[in-house]
Formats: sequence, C-alpha cells, structure tokens
Amino acid sequence: MGQPTPEQTAFLERAMGQYGKATYNFAYRLTGNESDARDLTQEAFIRVFKAWRSFQPGTSFLSWIYRILTNLYRDELRRRKGRFQEELPEDNAPQEFAGQRPMAVTPIEDYVERQLSEPLSRALAQLSAEQRQVVVLADIEEYSYQEIAEIMGCSIGTVRSRLHRARALLRRLVERAQKPTS
Amino acid sequence: MSEHLHNALLIDYLRRELPPEDDALVLAHLEKCPACRREYEIEISLSESLRTAAAREELEFPSMIAARVWEEIRSARPSPLAQFVAFFRPAVAVPLVAAAAVAAFFFAMPLTGHESSPKINAAYYLEAHAALQAQNPLDERGPAAVQLIEVAAQDTSAPTELADDVNVGLAAPSAFDAVR
Repeated sequence: MGQPTPEQTAFLERAMGQYGKATYNFAYRLTGNESDARDLTQEAFIRVFKAWRSFQPGTSFLSWIYRILTNLYRDELRRRKGRFQEELPEDNAPQEFAGQRPMAVTPIEDYVERQLSEPLSRALAQLSAEQRQVVVLADIEEYSYQEIAEIMGCSIGTVRSRLHRARALLRRLVERAQKPTS
Repeated sequence: MSEHLHNALLIDYLRRELPPEDDALVLAHLEKCPACRREYEIEISLSESLRTAAAREELEFPSMIAARVWEEIRSARPSPLAQFVAFFRPAVAVPLVAAAAVAAFFFAMPLTGHESSPKINAAYYLEAHAALQAQNPLDERGPAAVQLIEVAAQDTSAPTELADDVNVGLAAPSAFDAVR
C-alpha cells in the first residue's frame, strides 16, 4: 500500500469520522450481523483509502462508499457460494421461508432471525441479498432510483422491478407473521 | 384510469418517481378511489415502518473498525510495482541514469569508428600550397622549387602516408619542409 501521504491520511480520517456510522449501519442492514458488518466496513474504508484520488469532490461520498460496500458484499456472497457449493437466491425467486434458504446466506440470515423479533425485520432478512439492498437504499436511505442504479451498478428498470417485488414480498411476509396462529 | 391502480405505480408515486402527467393522474385517481387510497396508505406505512425499525436499530460506529483500518494500512507491504517505483526516486535515479549514460558513451565509441584518424587527402593541401606559391611573385624559392612541389603533390603515395598521421595539419608543413 505504501506510505500514506498526509492528504490521504486526512481524507480517511475525515471519511471515517463523518460517514463511519452511516456506512457501518448500511453494512449491518445488508449483512444482518455486527461481525460481518465490521469486516465489510473495514474493507470498504481500506478501499476508500487506496482509491481516494478517484473520489470526485462535489459528488456524494456516501453514494461512493455504499457502492464500494455493495460490491464487496456481492463478492463476499459469491465467495461463500463457492465455499458452500450452493446457489444464491435469484432476484426472480425470492425466498419465502428461512428454512428453505440455501447455505450460502444462512449464517447471516439465521443470526438476524435469532436477534430480531420484529416481523418486519424478520421479513427483511428473508429477502434475497439484492432485494434487501434495494429496499434499504430506497426506503431507509431514501435514494432515488437513479442513485440506487448507480450504487448497485444496474439499470433503473432493474431497480424499479426489484423494489416492487421486494416490497410485495415484504408485505406478504409481514401479513403472514401478523396473522394469529390457530 | 377507471380501474384500480397497480401497486408498482403506487410505489413509484410514493417515491415521486413518476413523470408529472402520470403523477397527476394517480393523484386524481386516489382522491376518488378509496380502495387504491387504502393500498397507498399501506405502502406508506411499510416505508415508515422500515425507517422506524432502522432508526431503532441504529448502531454506533465501533472505534475498533478505525483502529483495524489504520493497523491494516500500516502493516500492509507495498506491492512489487510500488517497491520498484519507490526505488527509482530522484536521489537514486539521477546518479543511475548519469552512470548509464557515461557507460553507454564509452561502450558506443568503438562502434562509431572514432578509433581511427580521419582519411584526409594530403595532396589537396600540397596542391593548394603550390598554387599559392606559383602565383606569388615574391616567393624566394623560384620556379624550380614550385615544380618540385607540384611533382610531390602528384605523388599518389603521399596521401596514404600522411593519412597515417593523426594530425594532418602538422604533417603537411613537414612534407613541405622536406621539399624545401
């Protein structure tokens, strides 16, 4: 990596000071557990440090680091997919039940389900990784379709369709969870 | 727009992602359709619930992340390319380039043929000198000397012998002295 310059050091210090919390929370919402969120956030800031010159002043730093984080998370899921030899859920085949989900995301998702009791949080954890990303970016971070498309590296049409499906599934999962068990 | 609105349209409307004309149509429909308005309110409450849940679960940035990032940066070994580039910083590069230039100069000298003296036709100098002498009425040596000079100048062996001497400028007067 080489010896950091004073400008590079100042850039990273400022980035972590101003956006560390938001980045960490975004990572937490994607991964669903603090350990993975910490690793992801750490790696994202190291990427920021390495590529600090490519940041365009005047643009949104958060969008930039969310994009880095989203890519890292996607890579991590692919890596786990290879490890477990299981397929990740496709966008068109959202997971209806946690028990049917493949091993690839089970460690994260299972932990989320153990920790959170709210039906909505459970429902969110049952979405596919890409659906969860789009819901977090659209409804929690309140980005526009254009911004989400830039962060996720896909088209606005893909963002729109993923969000529609994800929200429809969320509603079904929440309604099912709220129904009294007979 | 007499039928009920699709939820996808309601979500885009909620997010203000519709073009102005569609936005106006949805607004007008919602004002007169209780069923769609109810669906729209459910979509609003879903978004609000997501934001509320996220705010409730908001975590502080762990200081250990910053510490680990700095530790990672400081302990990281530079890449081979970075090491190579760092090696060629000016303090090292300038003497190296100078030494290489000097070595290249001395190495290239034999190849360019500078080891042998230039082949200059000495007869040219003798002829030119004889001509000057012949035209000079004040020449002390007279016509006989001039003739001898011309004979010497026509000698074909003269250029080769003179060419063997490095300094032609010195060789020419000595040949002239022999004639004298």
